[in-house]
Amino acid sequence: MSYGPSKALGDSQFKYWLIWPAVLVILLIGLFPLVYTLVVSFQNITLIDEDTSFHGLLNYRLLFADRRLWESLMHTVIFLVIALPAELILGMLMALLCLERLPGKQLFVALLVLPTVISPIVAGATWRLMFDNRFGPVNQIIGAVAGEPTTILWTVNPSFVYPAILIAEIWQWTPFMFLLLLAGLSNVDRSQMEAAEIDGASYWRIFFKIMLPAIRPVMVIALLIRALDLFRLFDVVWALTQGGPGTRTETISIYAYLQGFRQFETSYTAAVAFLVIVLLSVVVIAALKRVELAR
Amino acid sequence: MKRRTLHMLARYAMLVAVTVVFLFPVYWLFAISFKTPEEIFASPPLWAPGSIQFDNYRVLFKDGDAITVWNSFVVAGVSTVIAMVLGTLCAYSLARFRTGGDNLAIWIISQRMIPPVVIVFPVFLLYVWLGWVDTYHGLILLYTAFNLPYVVWMMRGYLEDIPIELEESALVDGCTRWEVVRKVVFPMARSGLFATAVFTFVFAWNDFIFALVLTKREVTTFPVQVTHYFGGQSNFWAKIAAMSVLGTVPIFIAVAMLQRYLVRGISLGAVKG
Amino acid sequence: MARVKISGLEKYYGSVHALRGIDLDIAEGEFVVFVGPSGCGKSTLLRSIAGLEEIDEGTIEIDNDVVNEMRPRDRNVAMVFQSYALYPYMNVYENIAFGLRARKVPAPEIDRRVREAAEMLGIAGLLDRQPRQLSGGQRQRVAIGRAVVRDARVFLFDEPLSNLDAQLREEMRSEIKRLHRDIRKTMIYVTHDQVEAMTLADRIVLLKEGQIEQIGAPLEMFERPATRFVASFLGSPAINFVAGRLVRGEAGLAVRFGDGTELALPEARSEKLGAWVDRDVVLGVRPEHMRRAEHGQLDVTFDLVQPTGTRIYGTFTLAGSEVVAELQAHDIEHTGERLSLAVDMKRIILVDPETDNVI
Repeated sequence: MSYGPSKALGDSQFKYWLIWPAVLVILLIGLFPLVYTLVVSFQNITLIDEDTSFHGLLNYRLLFADRRLWESLMHTVIFLVIALPAELILGMLMALLCLERLPGKQLFVALLVLPTVISPIVAGATWRLMFDNRFGPVNQIIGAVAGEPTTILWTVNPSFVYPAILIAEIWQWTPFMFLLLLAGLSNVDRSQMEAAEIDGASYWRIFFKIMLPAIRPVMVIALLIRALDLFRLFDVVWALTQGGPGTRTETISIYAYLQGFRQFETSYTAAVAFLVIVLLSVVVIAALKRVELAR
Repeated sequence: MKRRTLHMLARYAMLVAVTVVFLFPVYWLFAISFKTPEEIFASPPLWAPGSIQFDNYRVLFKDGDAITVWNSFVVAGVSTVIAMVLGTLCAYSLARFRTGGDNLAIWIISQRMIPPVVIVFPVFLLYVWLGWVDTYHGLILLYTAFNLPYVVWMMRGYLEDIPIELEESALVDGCTRWEVVRKVVFPMARSGLFATAVFTFVFAWNDFIFALVLTKREVTTFPVQVTHYFGGQSNFWAKIAAMSVLGTVPIFIAVAMLQRYLVRGISLGAVKG
Repeated sequence: MARVKISGLEKYYGSVHALRGIDLDIAEGEFVVFVGPSGCGKSTLLRSIAGLEEIDEGTIEIDNDVVNEMRPRDRNVAMVFQSYALYPYMNVYENIAFGLRARKVPAPEIDRRVREAAEMLGIAGLLDRQPRQLSGGQRQRVAIGRAVVRDARVFLFDEPLSNLDAQLREEMRSEIKRLHRDIRKTMIYVTHDQVEAMTLADRIVLLKEGQIEQIGAPLEMFERPATRFVASFLGSPAINFVAGRLVRGEAGLAVRFGDGTELALPEARSEKLGAWVDRDVVLGVRPEHMRRAEHGQLDVTFDLVQPTGTRIYGTFTLAGSEVVAELQAHDIEHTGERLSLAVDMKRIILVDPETDNVI
C-alpha cells in the first residue's frame, strides 16, 4: 500500500487553495505589465494616432540615440552615489550616538523616525516650503550665518537643485538607515565588545573590528533596499523640481513618466520601461537572495 | 563618575541637536498650516504662528479638497483589507507547507521591487480600455496587487515564528485545518497581522505615482492634491501645509502604535529588531 | 482504552529511510516507552500514530480500526508536546478546555471535566492564570491536563520532561506514573533519557536508525540485552566493553584479554558457550558489578576518580580499554591508587564482535 503526500492531513489540496488567489492578483502586476510592455515596445503606438504596426527593434535602436534618456539615467546614478553613502554614514553616526544606555532614548528614536514615514510627496512639499527663496527658513538661516541677506533660488538655480533634492532625500531616509543600524548594533554580542575593551582596544578599533563586521548583513540589506528605492526616485524630485530646470534633474522614472503621459510616446516608453526592468532585475535578484539568507 | 556624567550630557546635547535638525522641517510644515497669510508671507519669516487658528483647514473642507483625504482612506483601507486576507492565506501556505519552496516566495517579493512607473504604464492602458481610470476599484485593485507581495513576505516571516506544535496540538485535539487557522494561527499572529496591515495601509496612503496616473477628479488622493497647489512662481502655501498635515497626522499615529514592529516592517523582515 | 497495533510501517523523508519495518503491538492500558538516541525515529513513530506524519507503507490500527488515512482529530488520541504547546493567548482553563470545545462537548460537562483534571494535577488554583505566568513544572501539568481531560483512547507523550530541570523532572516522572496507575489508559511515551524509560515503562521499545532494536520489560532489557547497542544504551554510567578471546582454561571457560589477564566464567554460563571457544568475543561488564575485594580477579590502578557522594566512579585501563567501576564512596582515596577488584561474572554479557549481538 502506498499513500500520496499528506493525504490524511488534507494538505495536498488545502495548500494550493490558499495561494492561488494571491498569486493571480500578483500576476496582474508581475506578468501582465512585463508581457504587455514587451509586446508594445515592438510596436509603433502613440496615443495620438491609430497606428499600431510592428516596428521590430526600432524603439530599442532609438534608445541608444536618446541623449535625454541616458542623461536621466546618469542623474539617477548621481542621486544614488551621493545619497546612499551619506545616509549610511549619517545613520551610522546617529545609531552610535543612541547605542549606549540613555534614559529616554526610546522617545528620541520614535521622534527621529518620523521623516521616514511621511509620504515622499509631503516630504518634497515640506522642503519646497523650507527652500523658498523669500519666505523659507533655509535662506533665512544661511543669511543669519553669513551676515547678509540670502536669496538662493534652491529649486530653480541649476547649481543648487542637486543639493536641494539631496538634502530632502537624505533628510527623509537617514532615519531609515539609523533605525536599521541601531537595531543591528543593539544585537551585537556585548561580551565581545567588553572582551575587546578589557584587551585595551580603542573605541574606533572596536567599531571597525567588532561592530562593523557583526552588523554587515543588516547594513547590506539596508543599502540594497535604499538603492532600489533611489533607483526609482520620483516623488521628492517631482515635488521639488518636476525634473527641472529644463531636464537637469530628470530621473529615469520621471523621464519615463513624461514620455508616456505627456508626450504619449506609448511604444517608446514601453521600450524605456523594459530597459529599466532589465537593469533592475539583476540587482533585485541579488538583493532578495540576501534578504532571504538573512532571515 | 564625574567624567561619565559629562560624557552622557555631551551625548544628550548631540542627540537633542540632531533631533531638532530632523524635526524642524516637520515643525515648519505644521507651523505654516496654522499661520495666517500675513504670517506666512512675513519677511523675515516668523518662527511660530501668532496663534493656533484653523482657517487653512476650514478652507480645505469648504472647497471640498479635504475629500481627497477620505479618498486616500477608502482606497488604502479597502486595498489593505483585501491584501491582508489574500496575502496571509498565501503566506500560511508558504510558511507551513513550504509551497513552491523559496523560489515562489522570492518571485513574489521580487514583484514589489519593480519600479511603480514601469507597472503603472501598462496598467493605465489596460484601465483606459476597461474604463477603470479614476475609479475606486481600479486604484484599489492596483494597490492590492502592489502590496500583496509585501503582505505575503512579511506574514510568511511572522507565521514561521509560530511554533508548529501549537498547530499540531490543535489538530490532535480535534480541530480541522480551517479551525487551526482560525483558532490558533490568527490569534498567534495577531501582532504580526496588525503591524503588517498598518504598514500596508501606510504604503498605499503615501503613494503618489499610481494615484497621479490613474486618478483625475473623482478619486484623487491627498498626495496628488498637494501637488495641485504647486505653482511655478507662487505656491498655495497654506493649502500645501494644511493638506500635508492632514495626510501626515494619521501616519504619525499609526507609527506611534507600531514602535516595536517598525524595524522588522521596514527592513522586509530581514532585521527582527 | 485501546490497543495499538503497527505492522510493516515504513516512512521516508525524501531519500532518508526514517522508519524501517516497524511491527509493534501495544496492549490496552499498557505504558510503552519509545527510547533511543536522537534521530532514531522514535518521535516520528509517535507522530505517525497521532496522524501528524504520513506513513509510506504498513498499517496503524487503533482498536482494530486502520487509522492510516484518518485525520488526527478523528483518531481520538491525546498528545503532550515537548514544548507544552500551550496557547499563550488563553488562560489555563481555556487551554485545558480547548480540545473539548473543539469537539463540541456541552459547557457544563466541559466545566466539570476541566476542574476534575485540574484537581487531579494540583493546578486547580491556577485556572485563571496565563501560561506565561506559570513555572515550567506548572506548564507541564497544564499540558498534561489538556490531554487527560480529553478522555482519549491513547495518550501520547513526546519528550514531555526534557525542558525541565533535573529535580522537577523526577517529580513529574512520578506524577505521570501515578497518573497512569489512576486512569489505566494506553500511554506511549517518547524519551531519549534511559532513566525515564526504565522507571516509567511497562515495556520499552528501543529504536536505532529507524528500526526496533529490542522490545521488552525494563529489567529484562537491562539484564538480558539483545545487542551491544541495547546494553550500552541502558544504564548509567554505561556498561564497559573489553575485547578478548574465549578460551578453555584449567577451571573451565574464561575470557582472555590482550594483556594476558583472564576472567573465568561460572559453570552455569559455560555450558552454552562451547561453540565460541577460541573465538574473539567482547566482554561487557556494568560498573556496578565490580566491587573492592581482598583478592579479586583484577588488580588495577585508577587514573581518574569521580566521587558523587554516595558512590565513587573509578576509571582504569584493562587491555587498552577504559573501564569504569562504581564503588563505595570511600573505596578509593586518591588517583593512582592500586586496588583489587572482584567482577561479578554471573552478570557479565558476551558480545559477538562481528554482529554486535549478545551471545
